[in-house]
Amino acid sequence: MQKYEKLEKIGEGTYGTVFKAKNKETHEIVALKRVRLDDDDEGVPSSALREICLLKELKHKNIVRLYDVLHSEKKLTLVFEHCDQDLKKYFDSLNGEIDLDVVKSFMYQLLRGLAFCHSHNVLHRDLKPQNLLINKNGELKLADFGLARAFGIPVKCYSAEVVTLWYRPPDVLFGAKLYTTSIDMWSAGCIFAELANSGRPLFPGSDVDDQLKRIFKMLGTPNEESWPGVTQLPDYKPLPIYQPSLGLAQVVPRLSQRGRDLLSKLLACNPALRMPADETMAHAYFHDLNPSVKNDRC
Amino acid sequence: MAGNFWQSSHHQQWILDKQDLIRDRQHDLNILTDEEYQKIFNFFASIIQVLGEQLKLRQQVIATATVYFKRFYARNSLKCIDPLLLAPTCVFLASKVEEFGVISNSRLITTCQTVIKNKFSYAYGQQEFPYRTNHILECEFYLLENLDCCLIVYQPYRPLLLFVQDIGQDDQLLTYAWRIVNDSLRTDVSLLFPPYQIAISALHIACVMLGKENLKPWFAELNVDMDKIQEIVRSIINIYEMWKSYDEKKEIQGLLGKMPKPKPAPQR
Repeated sequence: MQKYEKLEKIGEGTYGTVFKAKNKETHEIVALKRVRLDDDDEGVPSSALREICLLKELKHKNIVRLYDVLHSEKKLTLVFEHCDQDLKKYFDSLNGEIDLDVVKSFMYQLLRGLAFCHSHNVLHRDLKPQNLLINKNGELKLADFGLARAFGIPVKCYSAEVVTLWYRPPDVLFGAKLYTTSIDMWSAGCIFAELANSGRPLFPGSDVDDQLKRIFKMLGTPNEESWPGVTQLPDYKPLPIYQPSLGLAQVVPRLSQRGRDLLSKLLACNPALRMPADETMAHAYFHDLNPSVKNDRC
Repeated sequence: MAGNFWQSSHHQQWILDKQDLIRDRQHDLNILTDEEYQKIFNFFASIIQVLGEQLKLRQQVIATATVYFKRFYARNSLKCIDPLLLAPTCVFLASKVEEFGVISNSRLITTCQTVIKNKFSYAYGQQEFPYRTNHILECEFYLLENLDCCLIVYQPYRPLLLFVQDIGQDDQLLTYAWRIVNDSLRTDVSLLFPPYQIAISALHIACVMLGKENLKPWFAELNVDMDKIQEIVRSIINIYEMWKSYDEKKEIQGLLGKMPKPKPAPQR
């Protein structure tokens, strides 16, 4: 710990406080995540272990780097690459509308990071603007893997209480226990719309029912025909039958036709119909992406 | 984390070179013969296995714990940490990483006490399991650091299932090969070879045991380095040979007595 000088508190993560700090030798700025070891019985918390072991395997430009793990008496500190802000703060700092090229660049980087996670059989499970870090160079990085998990075969039951309500897909809201990469794709869709609307959340529900109603008012209430098996989900409840009301043109008025098409492929209520991350990167929306974003090597 | 072994920390950091491994063990091998060293590891692998079974862990978790144990001592002398403390710590850490769920520490300690008393009294006599929660938690830090936080371990079980599927489901063959993979944990192969090669080797041995001549073409078509497979097969067969003439119940006390030990004994 002598190696780093603490500068300021950045925030509270899933399992501990995060500080901005400076490496005394190299002057590099890093983020220190202090892991609380308050539960005497558990030792190093599973969420911290999960983050450590997954980030050890996931080295990618669009995934926050874990530099080091420091051990000291009863304390564990994770040393992360530091980013200037998260997407939430970026939204707050916007003056007026977001540049649509920035939307495209951020979205592409988000999907590229996700595609990498998914190709390594890792689900993030907790995507939201606060967990997407942005640095000065306009690079976006997925962070906070405290709830992430590696998925193997067979897929077991995961706890239903994982994604922040606003970014939670309808299958999880209905208590689906067997979820897959499609959970992250829904969240990516919500974030896409939020980006295009300069930081206005797409479905800011107040509870599970409200969340579902907001979704179905926009996309139409699913039935056995549009989504086979939906009525069998553990927490399924019949909700008012809404017809898809608003066209996406009204939902994300600034987004291009291609952008809206991509959004519609992410925001599919039926998880089987959500487009996988690797396919999204080839979508026509990204054809005119700034080549410097696309060609960036890991 | 299936399917990306080649980019994994397991492949990049933890497939060790045999010469390096021998060199790093030199300190212990000045005191113990190679065979004695193997016998001690065999004994602690049994402790991990029995502990895991008592705690009702899946074989995958037990295998991961055993690999942690072997990785730790691949870089450290036996005198760094008493293996009787490291073994349950590996089980504790592996169960969290493999998302089996946390084993409560008090349950772990109780299970250790019972297992040592009931199943390994031939090694420890009337001596009780000497460690407590605080020792395990401290040891967990040390283990994590020595593993360089590489916690995801690929095991031969999944490739084995895929190979057997490819051959055409054969339950007897799978059962034999699965047990041979379990036995391979008693050797160094998990430190030296990728898991798919270990799976192929286990299948190879199983075929010989079962007299399955008809699978020769299947092996011939595999695009795999057969010298490596032979080397793994030899390591596993060697341990079977050793078991024939070895009575652990008689010898282990002497071996544990001879084993290099940490200086200050733990506080009871």
